[in-house]
Amino acid sequence: MSAVTDAGEFAGALADRPAERGADWGAFTVTHEPATFNRPWSNRFYWVMMLPAIILLACISLYPFFWLIYMSLHSVGEMGQIEGWNDFRNYTRLINDKEFLNGWWLLIKYSAMCMVLEVIIGVFLAVVLNGSRFEKVLVTLFLMPMMMAPVIAGTVWYFLYNGTFGWYHWLFQSLGILDAKSILGDPSTAMFGIVLVDVWQWTPLITLITLAGLKRVPQDQAEANLVDGAGPVKNFLQITLPNLYPFLLIAILLRFMDNFRFIDAILVLTGGGPADATKILPVYLFDVTFSFFKLDRGSAIAFTLLLVTIILGLLLVRVFEDPSQKRAATAAGA
Amino acid sequence: MASREIVQYRSPLRTAYGIFAVVFLAAYLIWSLLPLFIMFVSSIKDLLEAFQLPAVGDWGNAIPTFFNFTPTFAHYENLFVRENFGVYLQNSLIAAAGSAAISVVLGAMTAYGLSRLEFRFKKDLFFWIISTRMAPVVAVIVPLWAIFRGLDLVGTLPGLIIAYTTFNLPFAIWILKGFFDNVPYAIEEAAMCDGCTRLQALREILPLVAPGVGAFLVLCILFAWNDYLFASIIGSGGAKTLPAATRGLVQPQNIQWGSIMAAGVVTTVPMMFLGLLIRRYLVAGLTMGAVRE
Amino acid sequence: MFTVPKNPLYKRVSRRKFLELGGGAATALGAGSIAVGLNSVITRRPVYAQSSEDAKWRQYEGSKLVFMSENTPPSFAIRDTIKSFYDLTGIEVEVLTDDLPVVMQKVGIDLRSGSSDFHLNYVQDKPIGSVFADYYADLNQWLGDDTLPQAPEGSGEDAWFDNFLKACGWFYDSERLIAFPYDAAIACTFYRQDLFEKYSPQFEAEYGYRMEFTPETTWKNVRDFAKFFTERRLAGEDVPYGFAQHQGSFAWTTQLDIQRMMFAHGRWTDFNIDDKLGSKNPGPTNWGDEQSIKIMQAYKELADVSHPDNLANATLELNTVYQAGQIAMQVQYHEFAASIEDEATSVAAGGKTGYAVCPKGDPEWLVGDGELVNGCNCGIGGIGINGNASEDLQRAAYIFAIWATSEQVQYDVLKGLGGTPTRKSVLQREDVIAAMQRPSTMPNALTFDVVYNYGIKDPHFVLGPKIPEANEYHNILASEAQACVAGSITPEEACINIRDRLNELHEI
Repeated sequence: MSAVTDAGEFAGALADRPAERGADWGAFTVTHEPATFNRPWSNRFYWVMMLPAIILLACISLYPFFWLIYMSLHSVGEMGQIEGWNDFRNYTRLINDKEFLNGWWLLIKYSAMCMVLEVIIGVFLAVVLNGSRFEKVLVTLFLMPMMMAPVIAGTVWYFLYNGTFGWYHWLFQSLGILDAKSILGDPSTAMFGIVLVDVWQWTPLITLITLAGLKRVPQDQAEANLVDGAGPVKNFLQITLPNLYPFLLIAILLRFMDNFRFIDAILVLTGGGPADATKILPVYLFDVTFSFFKLDRGSAIAFTLLLVTIILGLLLVRVFEDPSQKRAATAAGA
Repeated sequence: MASREIVQYRSPLRTAYGIFAVVFLAAYLIWSLLPLFIMFVSSIKDLLEAFQLPAVGDWGNAIPTFFNFTPTFAHYENLFVRENFGVYLQNSLIAAAGSAAISVVLGAMTAYGLSRLEFRFKKDLFFWIISTRMAPVVAVIVPLWAIFRGLDLVGTLPGLIIAYTTFNLPFAIWILKGFFDNVPYAIEEAAMCDGCTRLQALREILPLVAPGVGAFLVLCILFAWNDYLFASIIGSGGAKTLPAATRGLVQPQNIQWGSIMAAGVVTTVPMMFLGLLIRRYLVAGLTMGAVRE
Repeated sequence: MFTVPKNPLYKRVSRRKFLELGGGAATALGAGSIAVGLNSVITRRPVYAQSSEDAKWRQYEGSKLVFMSENTPPSFAIRDTIKSFYDLTGIEVEVLTDDLPVVMQKVGIDLRSGSSDFHLNYVQDKPIGSVFADYYADLNQWLGDDTLPQAPEGSGEDAWFDNFLKACGWFYDSERLIAFPYDAAIACTFYRQDLFEKYSPQFEAEYGYRMEFTPETTWKNVRDFAKFFTERRLAGEDVPYGFAQHQGSFAWTTQLDIQRMMFAHGRWTDFNIDDKLGSKNPGPTNWGDEQSIKIMQAYKELADVSHPDNLANATLELNTVYQAGQIAMQVQYHEFAASIEDEATSVAAGGKTGYAVCPKGDPEWLVGDGELVNGCNCGIGGIGINGNASEDLQRAAYIFAIWATSEQVQYDVLKGLGGTPTRKSVLQREDVIAAMQRPSTMPNALTFDVVYNYGIKDPHFVLGPKIPEANEYHNILASEAQACVAGSITPEEACINIRDRLNELHEI
């Protein structure tokens, strides 16, 4: 289903395009020249400006972070009191914790499934939309699910999936996809159920980002390629896709981190069940801390989760700032 | 116009593609909007009507069954008369707007400083700021709760506003720095040569970044409004917001689907309008400024 | 969510600040003084044993308390009638309600952090009581107190239905009483009497005995009934599915669902502990023994002839399925009867539903020579008082607890939203007795005979296990049972897994 970029659409889009568009490849904003105008006497002013936010952020991010590490290294009693160092036991017992390992595996599986579906559908949708007559209206309509609170989205979909009165369940049954067992009522399909909700809500984001990228695909290159006899499919693979790559990378990383961050919809849809089939790590963490009140174990789990998020974050910032990525985007146009 | 000539060869293929594109877009449009539509229609159905389904495979009866109801606004009335949704709406508004305002003001100050100042650990500082936003909420909420508890902020609107600031402020700093980077220092320099103080010079360039700042203010409202975990753990009780209150409608004995759907509509519709309002900035906002339309 | 709305009417002063201000001295002086917890207000007027009843009720006039409760009908009803408590005592009580898991989180954090944002808690026996027992005040200290109002018929064990006070009031220590029974959810069988009557001849022709519910009906019979309906449904007939279990995402009721069947066969329990008292060190579990495996197999067999969407339905959704006429039987909590008998939401209303005790154990499924009983369990919601609160706040809270569990209030709630009384005397009222037969003005009363006069009495009643790790225990049981029902592991494996995980939980 990939690559149906039609040459005509392409040319049409090119003709409609304002002249200066072609020159503007700068996808990245965080690319300013280093300031060279600093004078020692002026620095204090800037620091005073920055201080309130930095102090506030330190209180609400650094302190919790160290608190978490501290808790994860100790035994924590019922009242949240520290009961002493326990030789990394909170961490070592995680190795044998079936639900912990299962949680990571499911988190990766869940994120990967979301990503693959969202990227394929999102890119395809963008390609079809790009330059079409109703692009503006349609994109605006497609955006609507993104505006919904995830917890509301979860609730609405729960209603749609319901085996007794859910319209989507009726639809799935009528199409012969499911039998009377609803999608969330079977451990083998529940994961698809929660993935679909994420896909419904966030595919438009990928589409938007891809559309922004498509506008920056160097048209002269595409044309040259077409003149050389490449078909639209080949053209898409050879020219469009490499140019989209940095955009997609950003989109994927962002979605990946959001999948780590938000469990609102899953809490409503399945609460991690049935038979732990959707108990991705953050959901398990939620249980450990808020249902079992195991603050020490919870802190250790939270720390592993934070660590991976930070690594992903570093990766993302790299992508944002990486000059070679930028070169890739611009070189294609040169 | 070389490409146009190539196109002429493929005319039948092009027609086929055109038809396919239309079908695909229509299908996606339905997929995308149908849940919203069902949510809305269910919110004006009576409970038993909302439970009506045609027999499996009975396609012919699907649409008649779906539209077989007498519209009622009883659920909305229930929300606002019996369930206090007026208060929750107000809480949502205050918490979201308050956190957005604080984030944008503090964020602009910091972003301005970061943009104009060069120092050794700037990159690390910058990364630290943005990493606060990326942290999974479940992972940090317990320590945050402990702090808030100590300050007696749990269950209060100020508490919720600060909680939302944990993700809105880094976002604002990150985005707004990009804005200030695009404003040449020369403007301030010129202003200062004219005898302006630094603060006045800053005021000179504020109009240049204002439209963007406005858009991101709206985006901060959107993020805060849609939050659930903070609202339920730090906020609810004294500062129950719409998403938390909607979840609370799931009650033993009768799941009030009509009211829940109505609450969904009440929560979602304002955000859709806001989304329309800042449509132009949405991509930049949702990608933390990495991608611009 | 862990604290309460700030009430602008009351100036908030922290306790320490108050003491700094010399408030302690003022308190000692007695009348009209104010001691302030986090969000509460307390005003005290001294009373004596010989004071009038009215003075005893009104001694904390002007105080303000917070009650954190589950969103059950009695709580809504209490909230609606709170005005009458205010008129009686002058104490303002704010009733906050939430989903049980949320209530657990909120009160857990409140109690464990040593604060008292919620002075009164909904002590659901195992999910809340057995976890937080130590943080509640001992009610025994006020039971005979002449300076406090007391229930006319007393609040000793005899005043409540059998086992109620033990279920929600005693945890690990019979000397301490932490809660009064406030509402109850007791399991019984709901079945479609109309369909049973209609299909009984057909059933009898096939299976050789009558399709009806009596106290002698066993779980194996239930499986046959379920099979009868489900097979017909799958063949395309216009009948509901036979049965459905409590699976879904509410671990506690899944555990209860299995427990009923387990206990019915030889009064099997998870641990060798005094079931009603509970234990902080339950020791090795009985899971994995022959009896448990046998019943898990039977549970799976029953699942196979249940509604196909079994795993999606937690207790609440299960009831919706029954209301929608999709199943012919469910073992459900008796508080749901009101929603079943409501013509506006249920197709099973209007005499179509019969109520029976929980099914009995079947001799074929029994290992050894244990007793076969109608295993019945419950969730008794108690009303407990936060042990972190000051003495005066606790005493004021006691007044509320006495009022909220009084016969009159329970009767009003039953008449209004459909409550679940906990005091025996409610059932002696004439109109309640009348309502136990159709046509009933209080539909919950239709179940009273089977639950209060039979199910909750020994030897049928099972409570346990009250253990501090109750919630994790529920989770372990639910996830393994669901995996078994889904067919991804065998019943033996499920039992072995439960055994290993429970033993690991208790570090054995």
